[in-house]
Amino acid sequence: MNIPVDTILSLVLLSILFSFGSSRLPGLIKVLAFQGVIVSIVPLVIGHDLTTGGILFTLATLTIRGIVIPLCIYLAIKRVAIRREVEPIVGYHASLLAGLGLIVAAVVVSHRFEAPSSSASVLLLPTAIALLVAGMFLLMARRNAIAMVLGYIMMENGIYLVGTTFSVRALHIVEFGILLDVLAGVMIMAIILQNIKQTFDDVDTALLRTLKE
Amino acid sequence: MVEIVFLAPFVTGVIAFFVPRSLGRPLLVLTGALHLLLSILLWIRQPEPLFKAYFAVTPEGMLSLLVISLLFFLISIYTVAYLQESDIKAENIFTGSMLLFLSTMTMVTLSDHIMVMWIAIEATTLASAPLIYTHRTGASLEATWKYVLICSVGIALALLGSVLITISMDVGQVDAPVSFSALTSVATQLDPLWLKAGFAFILVGYGTKMGLAPMHTWLPDAHSEAPSPASALLSGVLLNCAYLGIFKTNKIMQAAGLGDFSGMILMGFGLVSILAAGTFILKQTEYKRLLAYSSIENMGIIAFGTGVGGLGAYGAMLCLIHHSLIKSSLFLTSGNILLGYGSRLIDKTGNLVNLMPKTFVAFFSGFAAISGLPPFGIFIGELFVVMGAFKAGHYAGATVLVVSLCVIFAGFANQAMKISFNSSEAAISLKERASLVLPQYVLLATSLILCFWIPDTLYRTIMNAVTSVTGGF
Repeated sequence: MNIPVDTILSLVLLSILFSFGSSRLPGLIKVLAFQGVIVSIVPLVIGHDLTTGGILFTLATLTIRGIVIPLCIYLAIKRVAIRREVEPIVGYHASLLAGLGLIVAAVVVSHRFEAPSSSASVLLLPTAIALLVAGMFLLMARRNAIAMVLGYIMMENGIYLVGTTFSVRALHIVEFGILLDVLAGVMIMAIILQNIKQTFDDVDTALLRTLKE
Repeated sequence: MVEIVFLAPFVTGVIAFFVPRSLGRPLLVLTGALHLLLSILLWIRQPEPLFKAYFAVTPEGMLSLLVISLLFFLISIYTVAYLQESDIKAENIFTGSMLLFLSTMTMVTLSDHIMVMWIAIEATTLASAPLIYTHRTGASLEATWKYVLICSVGIALALLGSVLITISMDVGQVDAPVSFSALTSVATQLDPLWLKAGFAFILVGYGTKMGLAPMHTWLPDAHSEAPSPASALLSGVLLNCAYLGIFKTNKIMQAAGLGDFSGMILMGFGLVSILAAGTFILKQTEYKRLLAYSSIENMGIIAFGTGVGGLGAYGAMLCLIHHSLIKSSLFLTSGNILLGYGSRLIDKTGNLVNLMPKTFVAFFSGFAAISGLPPFGIFIGELFVVMGAFKAGHYAGATVLVVSLCVIFAGFANQAMKISFNSSEAAISLKERASLVLPQYVLLATSLILCFWIPDTLYRTIMNAVTSVTGGF
């Protein structure tokens, strides 16, 4: 049991619920930034690598996940003045209920695995699973293209959290490569979003249905 | 120094973004030639990589690298002619992305570290996204969006799979480098549960990129909206790169004694892909989408063959090489048809045999080759896969495979006949210059030659790649 880690991870779990109930994109982006900050500092709090390289890498992750990526999306919204609703396919109340169910399920499921991380923190694996599935939920249950990108980022955060157990072994250069890939991916998505807005005058993915069999 | 093979196109790719088209086009061909030269040198000399923890020269990697290199060189020659005929804005972005795409794909073939492999495969997605959006239309934008989002999400799952494999190392208390070659040698000590989970996620993840059904939905859109040289690259070599990730993970599974588990899943995905492709080929109205679905079909056959193992895996390897050669030639040919008729609809084409005779030769022989007619290589590959499946006792799977192949052949033949021999009032202004047809001829001829005569080193490389999976026949 590691009190500080579990405390901040429980905040992440709450933020998932908040993101499911949130109808406004700026709020959703703030949640993502918060999650990005937390998942980047978790390895440090667990005390995995308190070397200079480890701290530098954590700072880099923090900057990219917590600041650069959310800022990218925020600027994309701002520049093209996209309508700021997420256009849900599944309603907010149903989403909230699904989110609660999801968190419970994540806790139950993670007890079945004997992950090497469970000694470090009780909530690490449940939070990672919950983030992963919540990201997929946002991808499927929102029609707004930006909300879908945000879902993808949330998924990535979850995977990063799974990976923290392995960051003892990982070489920072490799992790940094992964981070750069994710960053470049989000930037390309932001560019596509702007083009979608210019071409279709909206980012509702219902408009993106011409290519069909 | 192995790394120069992907660093060289990376550097020229970055340069290509900033030079005018008069310089960009020669740069494309020159880099293609240089890359081919480097790959052949690599094949002969087999040097040690500089960063051994991340890169390695493996038989399957070299095989893919040579295919990529040859294809890119021929495609770059075609591209120059294609660019002269078509009107593409921001050509520097197109050429630059082509070269970066080449660089990232080369990196996939050479990477040995699990995470480096992931980085390289995700980088191929990012480098090829601008290629699909080249025409700047609403439909191409939609295709790009689908491609980037679906593939990124899929590949994110592969990242999760890779992480799970490293967890299987932790649980099994294995202390080895996180590379495919090291993991294959210590596979029996890995924790089987986490390894299985890791394989499943990697298969779904890279399978998305490889175009296995039901994760294939991006593929027909991306391949039909991209300009034809880019489609040829996407279909001919990008799919192989994703397959390489699955192939190497499958190798770990085989070494860990979990080959039956991974084989069953691979066969399942393979058959679903073949069936899905068959249904869509039958009622297809656009010829580029037709080719795209045929790629899904072939990837299905390859996945199925890999799952069968033994003779099937050898057949899958043959299918992989020949599919690259033939399908890229067909996509280049489809570029000629598009330039000539100005439409992607099959109904708007026709009478290709008289209107564009040289293109017709490339198209029709390509069609015969891809449908698995002898004497082309796909025929031999498919034959081995079917034989392997019967030998291993997968009668139901093999029967489904054979029946679907027949149905797909009928559907494809119907469409090919329409394009070739239907009457048409189209006025063709395109002049069939040598550089617009010769690359296709060379590709098809290579495939034909490889059926009758496989150079000894090539044969040994294929056998090395396959036998390490299956332990011989």
